[in-house]
Amino acid sequence: MGYATSYFTFGLPSFLIIVIALYLLFTGSGEAFNVGRFLEETSPYAWASVGIGLCIGLSVLGAGWGIFVTGASILGGGVRAPRIRTKNLISIIFCEVVAIYGVIIGIVYSAKLSQVPESQLYTRENYFTGFAIFWGGLTVGACNLLCGICVGVTGSTAALADAADPNLFVKILIVEVFGSILGLFGLITGLLMVGKAGDFAAASPAAVVSPFVHVEL
Amino acid sequence: MSGARENIFPTRMALTNTKLRLKGAQTGHSLLAKKRDALTTRFRAILRKVDEAKRKMGRVMQLASFSLAEVTYATGDISYLVQEQAKTATFRVKARQENVSGVVLPTFEVDRVAGTDFNLTGLGRGGQQVLKSKEVYAKAVETLVELASLQTAFMILDEVIRATNRRVNAIEHVVIPRLENTIKYIMSELDEMDREEFFRLKKVQGKKKRDAQAEDARRAAIAAEADDEEDSAPAFEPPEPTDTNSDLLSSKDADVIF
Amino acid sequence: MEALFFNVSSGFLEGIVRGYKAGILTQNQYSNLTQCETLDDFRMQLSATDYGNFLANEPSPLSTSTISDKATQILVDQFNFIRSNAVEPLSTFLDYITYAYMIDNVILLITGTLHERDTHELLERCHPLGSFDTMPALCVATNVEELYRTVLVETPLAPYFRDCVTASDLDDLNIEIIRNTVYKAYLEDFDRYCSTLGSTTYDVMHRILAFEADRRTINITINSFGTDLNKEARAKLYPTIGRLFPEGNNNLARADDIEQVRLVCDNIGEYKSFFDTSAPSRNGNGHDDLLGDDGDLSVAAQLEDHFFRMEVHLNKLSFLQQFQYAVFYSYFKLKEQEIRSLTWIAECIAQDARDRIQDFIPIF
Repeated sequence: MGYATSYFTFGLPSFLIIVIALYLLFTGSGEAFNVGRFLEETSPYAWASVGIGLCIGLSVLGAGWGIFVTGASILGGGVRAPRIRTKNLISIIFCEVVAIYGVIIGIVYSAKLSQVPESQLYTRENYFTGFAIFWGGLTVGACNLLCGICVGVTGSTAALADAADPNLFVKILIVEVFGSILGLFGLITGLLMVGKAGDFAAASPAAVVSPFVHVEL
Repeated sequence: MSGARENIFPTRMALTNTKLRLKGAQTGHSLLAKKRDALTTRFRAILRKVDEAKRKMGRVMQLASFSLAEVTYATGDISYLVQEQAKTATFRVKARQENVSGVVLPTFEVDRVAGTDFNLTGLGRGGQQVLKSKEVYAKAVETLVELASLQTAFMILDEVIRATNRRVNAIEHVVIPRLENTIKYIMSELDEMDREEFFRLKKVQGKKKRDAQAEDARRAAIAAEADDEEDSAPAFEPPEPTDTNSDLLSSKDADVIF
Repeated sequence: MEALFFNVSSGFLEGIVRGYKAGILTQNQYSNLTQCETLDDFRMQLSATDYGNFLANEPSPLSTSTISDKATQILVDQFNFIRSNAVEPLSTFLDYITYAYMIDNVILLITGTLHERDTHELLERCHPLGSFDTMPALCVATNVEELYRTVLVETPLAPYFRDCVTASDLDDLNIEIIRNTVYKAYLEDFDRYCSTLGSTTYDVMHRILAFEADRRTINITINSFGTDLNKEARAKLYPTIGRLFPEGNNNLARADDIEQVRLVCDNIGEYKSFFDTSAPSRNGNGHDDLLGDDGDLSVAAQLEDHFFRMEVHLNKLSFLQQFQYAVFYSYFKLKEQEIRSLTWIAECIAQDARDRIQDFIPIF
């Protein structure tokens, strides 16, 4: 069972990748596998949108995960110690905050998007904006995912510890607070990352950068 | 003091018999009293032992039931397993008889067989407690048997002592006074009879004397009438009966005094 | 990784079990209980604790067995609640917990059948945690062969019986040997199962199960002194998952007296203190003159006490780790210990044995 699972998890994808790579190589289109071209041909809008999507998606995933980890424990612990219900809502709020970080960043990033004719899209500035939003979104998303899980697990422990001994709540809450600050780091970094990037703007017609981009002028 | 007495004729024979019986009663009384004392000593000893054994039993039984609690603590309920695995009795009681001053006392003795059927009980856990509990209970039952033996002896001795006491008291307060009364009665009756006899004899003597005087007077008259005939012989006769009479009296007197 | 996915299926139940755990009597409550003069006082004190009014409807001359039965009933109710809310793999884990009691029950029924008793009345004496749906079916069997087949077909214990015991063994061997053989198989299988539940669970459970195995090994060794159990048969009863395994087990298999057992246990730091007779024992030795028992017996009796303490200690440790299944096992073991302690205190009150009343094992 264990072997089969790990085979299908790791073996099959790498097998497929190798097959495809070899196919491309031996059919004479090895240069189709071209990272630079891929980066330049992809629309900065795609980068930006994927970045925003990852940002909000991962954040909500982290928050949701944290809430269910905490929530299950609060519910279970609350059966015998109902007093933990209200107090431990703070753990839920901490998790929720993580999703809010994602939303904030998502809104900030969305503001960068503006309509630009396709012929004038592929400028150096727009590439920068696209990549900045993508990687910024990924940073924030990953940060918030881990932060959410971290707060969730700590929150669950806090709930159970509180149920066992009310004195422990504040002490564990401090741990939880430090955990939830991690998400804030992501938020700040994410903001800084796109701070230098301007909105998508139309460029002068001559400013086509990439040789791979064929735009009908 | 003319209380209970036996309903017999106050004769000399009866007197002798009664005296013998009185003597027997006195001997019996002293023997019974001795027996009673011996039994009482024994009884006291047993009483002390019973007391001791009862106290000990209290302690031992408490200990035993406590060790059972320990077993329950360590292994849980094992009663059914133990019941089912016991095949033969390892603890038996034997009865013997002992003779104490004529009283047969049963005594019980413990006979333990070393082999045990359930010595693997609690092998996984609590076996030591089971073992200990078994030992303690065996001791408790031993104490119980000892106590039972003492208690039976106690009961029997109690009964016997009471019976003996009753007998001693009966002899002392009923039989002996009655016999004494009887003897007194017989003696007084005999005395009375003696005095009657004496009086009767006196009377007879007096009568005989008067008769003799009358005879004498008559003879004197006759003699006076016929003085010429010799009358020495008839005058000699009358003193003889008086002599025997006095003899009889004196012998009677002695008897009365006796 | 357990932290990420454990709560999906078992977080709620873990919270509940930890809540139950908070209801376990504390030292303070124990000291209140030990002050009681009568069992009625005892009942009143208990009603102030987590037990509540569980004895309220009992007629007044309260017996210790009633207290123990009722408390066990509470434990069983809690277990059944958890069991019915559990999903895989927790449900299997909980089933494994019941197997231990099941073994006892099946052994009880086998004893009844061997002696040709009516086994239906035995069903009431079975431990409720170890009862299973098809248990009455075991009562149908009238001879040993039939019973063996029924056990194989009807009970979850089939693998243990199949591998360790044959039908003829049931007749020939002492019932205690069968019990311990089966129990050994159970312990090993449980340990194997725990290893599939992730490393946290396994770490904790293995520690507890290894101790349980060692405890059985030592106990079997000591209890078999002076009986007709020979050394080969004894060695077969030792579970192979303990910390004493394999070297200690081999040495124990050759041991002849308690001194040798002590030497073997000296190799394990935690077990060393068990045989330390110079430690002040709380067992009053005032009765020993009356019993005249030898030193071995009292050492062994204290040993049991040490084992219980160690077990409680290990089970308490498992609550220090979250997101693992051992808390369920530990909770029920601790609760069982608590019921034992309660029964002990009740027994001491009933028998007026004040000097021994402190000999229970407090948990918190």
